[in-house]
Amino acid sequence: MIEAQGLVKTFGSLRAVDGVGFTVRKGELYGLLGPNGAGKTTTMSMLAGLLAPDEGQIRFDGVDLAARPLEVKRGLGVVPQEPALYETLSARENLRFWGGLYGLSGRDLAAAVDHVLDLVGLSDRAAEPIRGYSGGMKRRLNLALGLVHRPHAVLMDEPTVGIDPQARLKILEAVKGVAAAGTTVIYTTHYLEEAEDLCDRIAIMDHGKILAEGTLEELIRRVGGRELVTVRGGFAPHALRVVVEALPGVTVTAEEPGRVVLTVDGSGRGAVEVLERVLGAGLDVQGVSVQPPSLNMLFLNLTGRELRD
Amino acid sequence: MIRLVPHLVAKDLKRKARSPLGLLIVLSFPVLFAGMIALAFGRGGDAIPKVRMLVVNEDDGLLGGALASAFSAPQASRAFETRTVGAREGHDLMESGKASALLVVPAGFTRDVLDGRAVTLRLTRNPSEGILPEIAEQTAGILVDVLEGGRRVLDEPLARLRPLLDSKDAAPSDAEITAIALVVKRALAKNGGLVFPPAITLESELFGNRNPPADTAKDSGGTTSAIFLLILPGIAVYAIFLVGDQAMRDVMTERTLGTLRRQLAGPVTVGTYVAGKAATTALLCLLSLAVLTGIGAVALREPVSVPAFVIVSLALVLAITGTSAIIYGLARTERQAATLSSLVYLVMAFVGGSFFRLESLPAFLRRIAPFTPFYWATQAYREILEKGAGPAAVLTHAAVLTAIGGTLLALGGIALHRAARRGATA
Repeated sequence: MIEAQGLVKTFGSLRAVDGVGFTVRKGELYGLLGPNGAGKTTTMSMLAGLLAPDEGQIRFDGVDLAARPLEVKRGLGVVPQEPALYETLSARENLRFWGGLYGLSGRDLAAAVDHVLDLVGLSDRAAEPIRGYSGGMKRRLNLALGLVHRPHAVLMDEPTVGIDPQARLKILEAVKGVAAAGTTVIYTTHYLEEAEDLCDRIAIMDHGKILAEGTLEELIRRVGGRELVTVRGGFAPHALRVVVEALPGVTVTAEEPGRVVLTVDGSGRGAVEVLERVLGAGLDVQGVSVQPPSLNMLFLNLTGRELRD
Repeated sequence: MIRLVPHLVAKDLKRKARSPLGLLIVLSFPVLFAGMIALAFGRGGDAIPKVRMLVVNEDDGLLGGALASAFSAPQASRAFETRTVGAREGHDLMESGKASALLVVPAGFTRDVLDGRAVTLRLTRNPSEGILPEIAEQTAGILVDVLEGGRRVLDEPLARLRPLLDSKDAAPSDAEITAIALVVKRALAKNGGLVFPPAITLESELFGNRNPPADTAKDSGGTTSAIFLLILPGIAVYAIFLVGDQAMRDVMTERTLGTLRRQLAGPVTVGTYVAGKAATTALLCLLSLAVLTGIGAVALREPVSVPAFVIVSLALVLAITGTSAIIYGLARTERQAATLSSLVYLVMAFVGGSFFRLESLPAFLRRIAPFTPFYWATQAYREILEKGAGPAAVLTHAAVLTAIGGTLLALGGIALHRAARRGATA
């Protein structure tokens, strides 16, 4: 079990992490979802023991990280955002080095190396120096290095950033496999689909704070069954606001020239009625999209902006 | 967690072995540099060609023959390849560029010398050759001086000999020989103080009173080897510092790769990490020293004090590790570190006498030289290689190097510790 309580980290005048706290149960896959700059990586650095929090406490299976860092780190795997590898060595040599660092040797080490190579699908290229690997292969090896010593808990910091869909799929499968094997995983991402697809529980972070936490269902329930309606066209946002504000159950969530985002009660004719009103008002509408309740909508409701912004 | 240090060192050595180019370039630098200088300025074996000397002896007398054969004397034959030729052949050989110089001894040379008449020897030099015709000219000049000196000392005996040269008699009488012998004896006795032995002598020796052994001087490659060894210690010390620099630079490389951060997120403490880098640096320096020592030993072909060499080398490795640790501990970026190290090593090598002999440096630089580890290391190796010094003679050098190295390593360790921590959180 991983417990983080009241974590605070300040860089100069920037409060990068501001009172973050959560508990991750054993074998759970816990997602930290938020845009770039939300404080996810700083939180992960503190969990990995690389940054000391200004305030707060972190415990792994009841052991205080600050008090006994090496004891905690021996059972912890870390998958950094950017691949951290020795390019002149082969995948197998990299894995043997990192496995040996955690005390594995002999047959145990060989078996562990073979296992993770198989897990990330690199067995057939294991003997090659990795400087010849593609970006996706390096990311897969990066994941394998964090798992080779069979850790109790793994911290994965956006392991799929900037890779092709095929490699991404391979990594996501591997992460699911690790979690299914009972390893506790904390996974940061700014991809909604990944969080929705992978995580048992999700914490939505922004500006160094956790804004909401729960299972996907719990979080969507917080949206209240509302739909997200985005209207695009050559109109002034104010003009559209005047038209739709009178409708019951409609809230303007975001607006900018040529684009207004509304949340609408999805139980009745909400979205249809909005569309009728807008078209009836003679506004220059060029496109309308309606999305069912989602994490993105929750994020929009919580922060006033979309996760992709 | 000190047990992890060998694991970290093994990994770093393996990485170095996979990408050895930088190290090989640094190591080849002192060997190539010293080797080229030695070949350019040494005069051993076939490295420097002999002066191809042609002598046209048109004189039928004693002195012409003596002059011509002087270039073929045993000592001269080490530098000269002399041929006596006719005037035509000599001209042709010079024209085809197959000789360095042509000396013409004119007809009647002996007679003119004995008569005290002005006489001219003509030396023609090959303009397409550099220093070799100059050597021929200088040597011929010396021979002329010797002849002129001899003529003046033996003026009276030569005057008595002169009529005999023109005499049609088969042999001079006993009385004439006795008279000439007495005159020669008196002339030699009169000038003996100057001639036997010379009043002024020149004795050449190497700095520090260590004359090269006789067999080394006879060795055709002796001078080349001596020059190689004269230059090698200083340049080698500089090169080993560069090896240390390359090894310690890995602190920055690992920061960029993200592997520093990853290790510190694992069971590696900052102290273990720094110890690993210091150990790798020291080990690579020792290996490089062993390689350069092997090359030096081949060039030297003469035993040196192994204990003295080992003591100095270990102290030097400590000094290098300490110096590189403090540079990479203080630098914030890889570029900053590269600039700082280049500057520090170049200045210290120059001031410390690694590039030039201390005697050739200005006095104020000589005064600050002992503050650099380069000075102590270079001087110690020169003591060992040139004077055959033993451990006792280089103990001070090694002690100072150890003190410098220990201090720098302690300070550098702290600085590196901070730098590694900074790098992990960057």
